[in-house]
Amino acid sequence: MTAALLFARDRGIVVLWGLLILLMWALGGSSFASYDNAVLILNAAAVTAVFAAGIAIGALAGVLDLSIPGTAALAGVVCARQLVDGRGAVAGIAAGLAVGVLAGLVNGLLAERGLNPLVVTIGTLSVSSGLALVVTGGLPVSGFTDLEFLGTGRPLDIPAPVYVMLAVYATGWLCLTQTRLGLRLTAVGGNAEAARRCGVPSSRYRVIGFAGAGLCAALGGILTAATVAQADAVVSTGVLFDALTAVALGGVALSGGRGSLPRVLVGALVVATIANGLLIRDVPPYWTTVATGALLIAAIAADRALSVALTRRTLEVPR
Amino acid sequence: MTAPALRLRQISKRYGATTALDRVDLEVYPGEVLGLVGDNGAGKSTLLQVASGAHRPTAGELCVQGRPVAFGSPRAAAAAGIHMVYQDLALVPTQDVGTNLYLGDEPLRGGPLRYLGVLDKRRMRREADQALARLGVRLGPTSRPVELLSAGQRQVVALARAAVRVMAAGHGVLLLDEPTAALGPEQSRQVRQLITRLAGQGVAVVVVTHDLPLCFAVTHRVAVLHRGRKVADLPTAETDLDAVVGWITGARPHQP
Repeated sequence: MTAALLFARDRGIVVLWGLLILLMWALGGSSFASYDNAVLILNAAAVTAVFAAGIAIGALAGVLDLSIPGTAALAGVVCARQLVDGRGAVAGIAAGLAVGVLAGLVNGLLAERGLNPLVVTIGTLSVSSGLALVVTGGLPVSGFTDLEFLGTGRPLDIPAPVYVMLAVYATGWLCLTQTRLGLRLTAVGGNAEAARRCGVPSSRYRVIGFAGAGLCAALGGILTAATVAQADAVVSTGVLFDALTAVALGGVALSGGRGSLPRVLVGALVVATIANGLLIRDVPPYWTTVATGALLIAAIAADRALSVALTRRTLEVPR
Repeated sequence: MTAPALRLRQISKRYGATTALDRVDLEVYPGEVLGLVGDNGAGKSTLLQVASGAHRPTAGELCVQGRPVAFGSPRAAAAAGIHMVYQDLALVPTQDVGTNLYLGDEPLRGGPLRYLGVLDKRRMRREADQALARLGVRLGPTSRPVELLSAGQRQVVALARAAVRVMAAGHGVLLLDEPTAALGPEQSRQVRQLITRLAGQGVAVVVVTHDLPLCFAVTHRVAVLHRGRKVADLPTAETDLDAVVGWITGARPHQP
């Protein structure tokens, strides 16, 4: 029984995705189950997945960063500004990513001063989206071609964002599972006080969690700008909801310490598959938003039900 | 005669007008289990906090292996070999047993991977297995997350974690605060065995407990605190339950 609960918690999302593909296949027929459509789903999932990685890294360290859309917008426009000014792709991307890390450090240092982290990140969401408008003067920044290789390029007939997504997940997964940094990050998320008593500087690792979230948010913002060859200061909270849903579906405990990046990737694919399948069936896209929200709540409800059942099984004193 | 692993000399702790500890002398030798008993408010917790570096004494002196020390923090005490096993366990529930044993002191891979902070997971698991085997502890695979263990098994992990650090240093003192509170009889028995085995390996153990049967089962010596003063300190074999209860309640006069 415990094994079944563990399987549902740790592998359930993969099963769910499989069932979803079968369902959409049955509904959409060959227009769903084609190579081209599969690539389309991957491409649609890419940006969401990068944001989701950011939220997941934060959540593993026990911090929830809601400022991600603002950081993304600011990083996107800062990067675009560099490109329009002719400084080249490397400088542009570096500047954008630096903005992300900086935003994360600000979040982290404020939260570690004892301010409520959720409210801090909502505050910095407002600050960074405002700053993005200041940078652009309210008009979208366009007219750059340096990022085509990241946005619309298709090496081996697969869109470039898919490669970026895979690179982010591979690096993140290695970092989290194979290094001391990742181990301590998740340990601090699991029980900051216990980690501190073991000599791990907990608050430093929580700040690192925020910085990682900011870095992924910035990369997502740059990727968005690259795919549409334009950077807009308008903050889209939709990406936050999609990413949060992917993280919850991936079984990352929002209270911290538990979760794995590969499952978050599957979560992002589930969200993209649903949107794609509904689109193919000519369901108005508004319903996708409804479905995503419902899925987010269902995901945390399922995670809680499984955790409670598991705790009940393990904490019983055997007679 | 070896020096005491830990010695408290004339320790007093006052909070404002309240005297929590009044000129207490206490010592524990390597390989010895000392039971520290007393009623609520007798000063047991304060004594542990002073010994573990959480609080500084108002007066008196601490010696580790004959050398006077002053701890500014629990971490400083741990560095000197004094490890406190907390009542609330303080494990990371989402991490596996091996990680909990080595958190803060993780083995890294050699060569250039070391600079990237790459973990040597195989070594961590192997050392965890060996350490638990030496302690005679069987918990199943060390790759199990602690959240899937029973309360007793968690207590064993918490004890083993402190024990691993003490044994790595080759000497040290374990301070246990109510190690069997909230455990069933079978689980208490496991913890008892572990304490005995640790002492057999040369670790000095101080057990603070309300559980007098535990105290008589595992300790070599028992010290009784009453209203901040030590009223008795004698080999466990030379006393009995009635006498100890008498000292705890204050019904029996101060040991001569």
